Amino acid sequence: MTDTIEIDRLQKRYGSRIALHELDLQVRPGTVFGLIGPNGAGKTTTLRTLVDVIRPSSGSVRVLGEDPRHGGAALRRRIGYVPGELHLEGRSSGHRMLSFYAQVSGSRDATATLRTGRELADRLGVDLSRPVRTLSKGNKQKVGLIQAFMHRPELLILDEPTSGLDPLVQREFLQMVREAKSAGQTVLLSSHVLSEIQQTADEVAVLANGRVVADGDVASLRLGSIRRVRAEISTTDAAAARADFDRVPGLGGVEVHDSDGILSISGTVDGAIDPFINVLARFEVRDLTVEEPDLEESVLRLYGASAANAGAATSEAAPTNEPPTRRARRGREGRR
Amino acid sequence: MNGILPVFRRNLRESWRSLLGWTIGIAAVLFLYLPLYSSLGGDGQLEAMISSLPKELVDTLGYDQISTGAGYAQSTFFGLIGFLLLTIAAVIWGSAAIAGAEESGRAELDLAHGIGRGQYALESALAVLVRLLWLGAFAGLVVWALNGPSELGIDDRNIVGASAALTGLAFLTASAALLAGAATGRRIWATGVGAGIAVLGYILQALAKQSKDLEWLNALSPYAWVYQRPPLSEGVDLGGLALTWGLAIVFVVASVFALRARDLRG
Repeated sequence: MTDTIEIDRLQKRYGSRIALHELDLQVRPGTVFGLIGPNGAGKTTTLRTLVDVIRPSSGSVRVLGEDPRHGGAALRRRIGYVPGELHLEGRSSGHRMLSFYAQVSGSRDATATLRTGRELADRLGVDLSRPVRTLSKGNKQKVGLIQAFMHRPELLILDEPTSGLDPLVQREFLQMVREAKSAGQTVLLSSHVLSEIQQTADEVAVLANGRVVADGDVASLRLGSIRRVRAEISTTDAAAARADFDRVPGLGGVEVHDSDGILSISGTVDGAIDPFINVLARFEVRDLTVEEPDLEESVLRLYGASAANAGAATSEAAPTNEPPTRRARRGREGRR
Repeated sequence: MNGILPVFRRNLRESWRSLLGWTIGIAAVLFLYLPLYSSLGGDGQLEAMISSLPKELVDTLGYDQISTGAGYAQSTFFGLIGFLLLTIAAVIWGSAAIAGAEESGRAELDLAHGIGRGQYALESALAVLVRLLWLGAFAGLVVWALNGPSELGIDDRNIVGASAALTGLAFLTASAALLAGAATGRRIWATGVGAGIAVLGYILQALAKQSKDLEWLNALSPYAWVYQRPPLSEGVDLGGLALTWGLAIVFVVASVFALRARDLRG
């Protein structure tokens, strides 16, 4: 079975600026694929290429077996798309807007599509009778999701779909993605929030500076293994406490402040959290925060070196430092 | 595929309020100006007034024929205020159609759906054309209705010709704006090119009137193509009319190719 999306050496240049460097990506049918990376990594550029909003400078793109450029409107009718920056203007109501898109997309009858749209609106809690321009950002985003999902397309391309949504609606959205997957639809979504991808995606590609710096299943990427920690403990011997924390494996970037017997420690823990907790437990803990770092931090920490070297990688980078991508693996296999 | 011409129908549905506004504006201008003719023109009052103005000014404004009903309607409405109103409407609609939709982010969403780019450009152009045709036809209808009561004495067929000339000029402006929008995706370019063509056309023919040496400028002015031979008194110049409409259609077709050829702006 061919892949739903096949991107081969996709390159996009804007003048002298290169937005995408020879990007490779494969999305298998019926899976949820997550595209993550910091802002400006090239996620939106990649997704817009898939719906022929922008055209590649070089390389090839196939979506549902067709080149988006030639597949045209007929191909896009089989796709649901949420743009990264959704602007909904105009006097017309959400209902009118959805009714328009129900006419132009999908293979089903417009009334059936619209019925699904109304059900989704009830589910997400958005009033379709109001003019779309008067809706809040979150509610506009809901309308954006509905127009992508309502015609039950074979492929959903969602660019930062949860931006502006409150946590409850985000959860509903993740449920919608799971349902789409059970119905056999393929989903490609981008995010700069790691947890969102972790909860839904089967496979992930990490983008940085227009390159795939890592891909594979979510767990294998170790992205979730970095946590930012901050703790306040009571201690009379700050130096001894500091020495204890220095011995914790994986704890890095430590900053310590001592004031009146309260020691504040902050840093990042890479790998298991248990050793850090064990050391903490010896003290009276007055405050503790453990949080997921932002994606940029994780990507740069884990793949920063390879992302920076990727340009050089084409001219034989050190084999030990190769990015964990399909391209790199393919290259290694080729050399064997 | 459900329903035909979805983009065209949506554009019309969303703009009926503004179209109504323009219609009322045109009616107001016509009802204000045309009835004045019978009280001004008949006894040579108007002629006396015009002859006291500098000749260059009278030529520029096209007031040289103002003492006849046809000349009066031409210099007040078809050549001046009606031209201005329809040009403004054409520039606004022509630049909103593609460039405006693109700048607002709507085109990205529309064109990620099952709508082809060529289809998008053509249906947008058609929606502008239909609105301009309505304004042109409505203006012609009001002139026809006031023709008798205001003692203008214009031939009915010439009213049709002059309305077609006015509408053609406006559509040329709109299609130039559409093409600039399709090529750049920028509203400012679309507005600039649309308004530029209209203003340039007007200025060139006004200059051409000033001296025999400048008459060749008329060849470059769409305004002169349709208005140099007074359409209300002598009948519209069919060649000029065809040239204006033909060029407008060329611009529309070109905008299909321009929109197809490039990336949309995000």
